[in-house]
Amino acid sequence: MESGQHMLRTGRRGTLFEFSMALRDLVTSYHRRGLAWSLAWHDVVSRYRGSILGPFWITISMGLMVLGIGLLYAKLFGISVAEFMPYVAMGIVFFGLMAGTINEGCDTFVQASSMLSQTSLPMFTFIWRTVLRNLINLAHHAVIIVAVIIFFGLWRVMDVFPALGGLLLTIVNLAWISMLAAIASARFRDIPQFVMSVMQFAIFMTPVFWKPDAFPDRHAFLTLNPFYHMLTTIRAPLLGQEADGLSYVILAIMAVLGWALTFSVFAITRRRIVHFL
Amino acid sequence: MTDVSIKVTDLTLRFPVYGVDAKSLKKNLARVTVGGRLGASTTGATEVTALSHLNLNLRAGDRLGLIGHNGSGKTTLLRALSGAYEPDEGQIEVRGRIAALLDLSLGIDPSATGVDNIRLRGRIAGMSSKEIEDKMDEIAEFSGLGPFLAMPMKTYSAGMQARLAFAVATAVEADVLLMDEWISVGDADFQKLAHRRLLNLVERAGILVLSSHDAGLLRLYCNKVMRLEGGVASEVKDIRRLDELLAAA
Repeated sequence: MESGQHMLRTGRRGTLFEFSMALRDLVTSYHRRGLAWSLAWHDVVSRYRGSILGPFWITISMGLMVLGIGLLYAKLFGISVAEFMPYVAMGIVFFGLMAGTINEGCDTFVQASSMLSQTSLPMFTFIWRTVLRNLINLAHHAVIIVAVIIFFGLWRVMDVFPALGGLLLTIVNLAWISMLAAIASARFRDIPQFVMSVMQFAIFMTPVFWKPDAFPDRHAFLTLNPFYHMLTTIRAPLLGQEADGLSYVILAIMAVLGWALTFSVFAITRRRIVHFL
Repeated sequence: MTDVSIKVTDLTLRFPVYGVDAKSLKKNLARVTVGGRLGASTTGATEVTALSHLNLNLRAGDRLGLIGHNGSGKTTLLRALSGAYEPDEGQIEVRGRIAALLDLSLGIDPSATGVDNIRLRGRIAGMSSKEIEDKMDEIAEFSGLGPFLAMPMKTYSAGMQARLAFAVATAVEADVLLMDEWISVGDADFQKLAHRRLLNLVERAGILVLSSHDAGLLRLYCNKVMRLEGGVASEVKDIRRLDELLAAA
């Protein structure tokens, strides 16, 4: 229908129709996935234009933080550096992906307002743009992960497939959170500040820099924190440990429920988003 | 080509205005000639009725000029035709590939080079990477910017920026061309080039919808004209009756 040859826009025709239009937006964004990729790539290139190291500057700053916190906290907590450094390294890098995708989600539609108000580009394209941009950044920061894996000999014990499964589940969840933030931020301009505060709070409440050993297994403080599940399903297998199966289950349920909620909100607000901007 | 068409039926478009205290807007604003009509929606948010009950039928070969005061709904109609705005009531059906040339700066990144901007803008307009590379030489030649294409856009003068944007925007093969008044860019030489290219495009495109305040321009490109006032459209008339519509102002 949206082949670029035929365009049909109508007034509201009931909820079912709104959902089918939202679905069409999603399908079109898939057909034009090359555009989302081009935009994401352009974002990264243009943000660091003229800089020699580009996104690696963030990698360096992350690496420095890993080094500092890894050495200092290992001493403070009385844990060996070999155990703690890779733990913190993965924590910082993967939490960076989460915070980045969600925080930048707030700007997704606001930033694209001129394009949204004069073209019929699918809105999902801009969601993928934000997600892909953060994955490109992650690919840079993966240098740190690779470094600790080699340096501390983790390649001998790590289990890649469960970690990739965890990463996939995490990305699927981040995408809907990012989209929900995008819609809410377009309408209410207080949301970005709110989201930023939550993510800042979350980095300390989630076992990024500290080990959850003080809590008994499946303590509510951890179980109720979605970021804990995202982090542990990626990190534990890479450290040669086994992540609790419950975490995978929770992430899967969260993905289904979260997408159902986000897609519904999108279907209902889709017509209005361009006017929010 | 023959099945290129625009069919607008009973189109009503309202803009909810967020972040404005509805009470602070005086009710008599509703009767000013500039701008759409303001009214309170059921939810209490202020709404502007930008277009109301608009009907329009265009077929291949129609070149429609839109006239009207600032804020009469010309740009809104163009944006609705481009697919960006969803109707509140009624329906819009467009057959054919749409090219909306509403904003020259769309998708332009000032710190990127001319070539990069051609690629980016082309992608947004719906061209594939291959199509863009195929047309790159033509676009580059038409822009007349030569070695400057390798420089960041921010080093360009306003006229040079306009040249590049115009060159990319008009490179898209389109059946339906939507334009907001901005043809008067660049120097005299470029004006001539742009004019020729536009005529070419208009001939190739099945339908042109052009919004303008310039009667001469409308006579040059259009064969039909429609007047918008406060979101209400007049009948579509032959361009020879442009003076009648202008006099009605």
